[in-house]
Amino acid sequence: MRTVDVIIVGASLSAAAAAKRLVDAGLETIVLERKELPRHKICSGILSPRGHRFLLENFGPLPREALHEPTSCRGVTFHFPSMVSLSMDFFGGTTPHLHRKYSDYWAIKRSGAEVHDQTSFAGLEDNGDHVLVHARSKGEPIEYRARTVIGADGPSSLVTRAIYPDYPQQIPWFFVGQKFHDIIECPLDEDYFHFWFHPGLGHYTWSHARDGRQIVGVGFKRGDNFAKKHANVVNYLGEKHGVRLKEHTDDEGCAENFGPSLINRYVFGKGNVLITGQAAGFLNMIGEGMSCALHSGAICGEAVVESRVTNRPVREMYRRMIASEVRRTTDQWNPWKIAFDKPHEADFPAALMALGWRDRAKVLRDMWRFVVLYKEFNWGRQIFREMLQRPMIGGYSAQRWM
Amino acid sequence: MERLNARLEIPEVEPGTLGACPVAPDALVDIKRQQTNPARWRGRGWKEFSDAVRALGVEMSETISARGAYATDAGGTAYGLPHGVVIARSAEQIAGLLKAAQAHRVPVTVRGGGLTTEGESVAFGGVLLDMTGMSRVISIDPAALSVRTQAGIFWHSLAEELRREGLDYLSAPLNLTSSVGGTLGVGGIDVNSPRLGCSADQALALQVVTPTGDIVECSDTQNPELFARVILGYGQFGVITEATLKVRPYTPLRMHYYYYSSLRTAIEDLQLIDRNDASDYSGILTILDCAVNLLVAFDSPEREAAFKAGWESRLRGHGEFGFGLRMLGRYALRPWKLGEAWLLLQRKRELFPELQRSEYMRDGLMLDRTVVFSRAVWNFWGGRQMVIPDLATSAAKFADAVERGNAVCRKYFPHYTLYCVGIRLRKDHREHYEMSCIPPDAEEWAYGCEFEPMTNGRTYSRDHLQSFKNAIYDIGVDVGASYYRFGGMMKGYIRRVFGDALVDRHLAMKKKADPAMILNRDVIF
Repeated sequence: MRTVDVIIVGASLSAAAAAKRLVDAGLETIVLERKELPRHKICSGILSPRGHRFLLENFGPLPREALHEPTSCRGVTFHFPSMVSLSMDFFGGTTPHLHRKYSDYWAIKRSGAEVHDQTSFAGLEDNGDHVLVHARSKGEPIEYRARTVIGADGPSSLVTRAIYPDYPQQIPWFFVGQKFHDIIECPLDEDYFHFWFHPGLGHYTWSHARDGRQIVGVGFKRGDNFAKKHANVVNYLGEKHGVRLKEHTDDEGCAENFGPSLINRYVFGKGNVLITGQAAGFLNMIGEGMSCALHSGAICGEAVVESRVTNRPVREMYRRMIASEVRRTTDQWNPWKIAFDKPHEADFPAALMALGWRDRAKVLRDMWRFVVLYKEFNWGRQIFREMLQRPMIGGYSAQRWM
Repeated sequence: MERLNARLEIPEVEPGTLGACPVAPDALVDIKRQQTNPARWRGRGWKEFSDAVRALGVEMSETISARGAYATDAGGTAYGLPHGVVIARSAEQIAGLLKAAQAHRVPVTVRGGGLTTEGESVAFGGVLLDMTGMSRVISIDPAALSVRTQAGIFWHSLAEELRREGLDYLSAPLNLTSSVGGTLGVGGIDVNSPRLGCSADQALALQVVTPTGDIVECSDTQNPELFARVILGYGQFGVITEATLKVRPYTPLRMHYYYYSSLRTAIEDLQLIDRNDASDYSGILTILDCAVNLLVAFDSPEREAAFKAGWESRLRGHGEFGFGLRMLGRYALRPWKLGEAWLLLQRKRELFPELQRSEYMRDGLMLDRTVVFSRAVWNFWGGRQMVIPDLATSAAKFADAVERGNAVCRKYFPHYTLYCVGIRLRKDHREHYEMSCIPPDAEEWAYGCEFEPMTNGRTYSRDHLQSFKNAIYDIGVDVGASYYRFGGMMKGYIRRVFGDALVDRHLAMKKKADPAMILNRDVIF
């Protein structure tokens, strides 16, 4: 059995960020990845400028192989059912369109951690002073012993399930799927990520260009029909935006834990097991989870190092340090912050105010109708409570975290 | 797979060069594409190097416990482990080490007191050279008012030795454990810097081991080019092993404090005092941004009397009692800010006795300002981590820069302290100041402000601290300032504030002096 300081489950960007901090501090770290690396990853790949800066400052300039075509994205365009469109450029300039298969591989290699791919996490036992991790490597059982385990294995995190078996039943689950189409004609500006606030299309509807094809994606509550939802969006784009696409050539989809960031209900782990990245519930408002995954992953790594230096429990240290990232992420969903501050990396209030008052009213009406789509999840009161709490305690309550 | 690995295997970026970014020309506007958290050096050729060093008789420890002691610096945000640690013993030993490092291309990171805040003295692999092994005072010349000392000595140890001869150093940072060599390489400010300049300016001559392993003596007259580069040179052009410093007769201080409710007014008065040489020591230390303390001090009763007669009435600050009454009025009208008032009272109760402890005071005179202020700073302002971004500007820009920095502090932390001080510049040392903490547009005086959050035991993420520092440094880019701590993780700002032409010129000099780019290579390039 291999004994190390830290085991990280997952080889994504949050894992790479955590690994970088741990390896820098001289902690022996092993990353376990279920698939063979480099592995495919479902993602829009549009990283925010904050995430780009993190990659650059910690791993160096991105290699060309880690980017799709177009290599960058200038900003976001919101489309509304009233046919008003709002384009917003990112504050920090254009931002990378990551090819997750290679960008994740590049980052995890640059972190300097030892990576065991084709090794799937099977369970753990937290024994107080150490954690036993059970895994399967190429079908064979294998065990590791570590002082700390970090779960950075995405929304359907097996590590989260290992410590909170009933967690999946506690939150609503969504499905997000995207299909790739060859283009006949597409008037949507390929420099922007396009998002539709349309309750008739889905809970999360987007489109953007990638490697000469157009992605049409839709997110909805789990249980609905992807093919039907997607066809509906393609028809809508054709009718309303003049987008003419061929039949899709590829498709992919995954489960999403959209919600914890909105209502400050993150999962940060217990004992010697920490959860980070999207597994912890981090998701920015345009559905971009990479930049908060990078930062929360780094904080997770720092917390492990700090707990060693200060001889404090790692969970306590992580929960203290992660507060800043919780503020950044949940601020993006806080209506007060959206209206009176600039929590996003693009200026929505300014774009809205640039419209005439009629269009402004239409946009606000459409947004309200879109928000009503989420009524069934009973998040409204929780968001309101968090909004009131924010100025009083200067952040969001740690009591709601798991 | 192998082809892919080769494509994704990024060659190590040569220090000082910027890798290409294929994202887009306008990606990350205004942010230089630089990896500021260095990749660990991979240890190529380490075995051959360590054999070569040991063959020279240099003792090098590779145990994890020895290396772990140097994992971070006072900033506590950058972590790195050297492959081996060498305790400095002599210039000859360091020369041998650097020659071997140059031949085997092994990075060498030099550390004195380890009081850097951005990881400048953290080794991301390679050798860590701990200079504290060279900490003896070699000779004191009371007639010529100079001292020759090894550079790894801490300022407080040097002060102890000088005090026996009735002497004192000119100026040193308010840190008990910063080393002489490290300070000369970076700057150093004290409350007497408005008169005597930054700590680095008191160096008369240095013994330097160059990155290629030559032992060279330098001063304003002997090897002046090297002297100009090593002073305020962030350790890029040599390891300072010995220094001759100007000293002065020791005098206890006569301290006076004036209190202001406006930062700008206090800064204007500070500059008035400096311009007119009205005091021997001056500086600003805030408790809150509405409770600003201007301190002035004197070496002699004559200077004190002249100040009282000519300048005190022109200051707009108040004494302790008068300021207390004003604060009473302020909080009576703003009862929702009683928490602030409570903090002020608490600080008064805890801090003021600390500044007047009987063991450091005699007949109302402060015997050792360094000990008094260092104790107070570390007990009442510093946290476990030193987080002190700073701005250094010309006199004209200073008040604006401080007010903007103050707004940033308020956004990020509930409580913080600002420490402002003037720095008298030497016309004959203008060349020393190039690409340093002294802003290029400063004439006669530069002004520095440190923005120090009071963490009060709270733990903040590195990202939060880094965002705070970036926000302060962005002000510097905007107003055309410089920084005291622009190395390490803040090195992304060097090209933004100094421009490519100047940085490239220094980089060319560095490459010439240090062909394998081994010495403190992750610090500024």
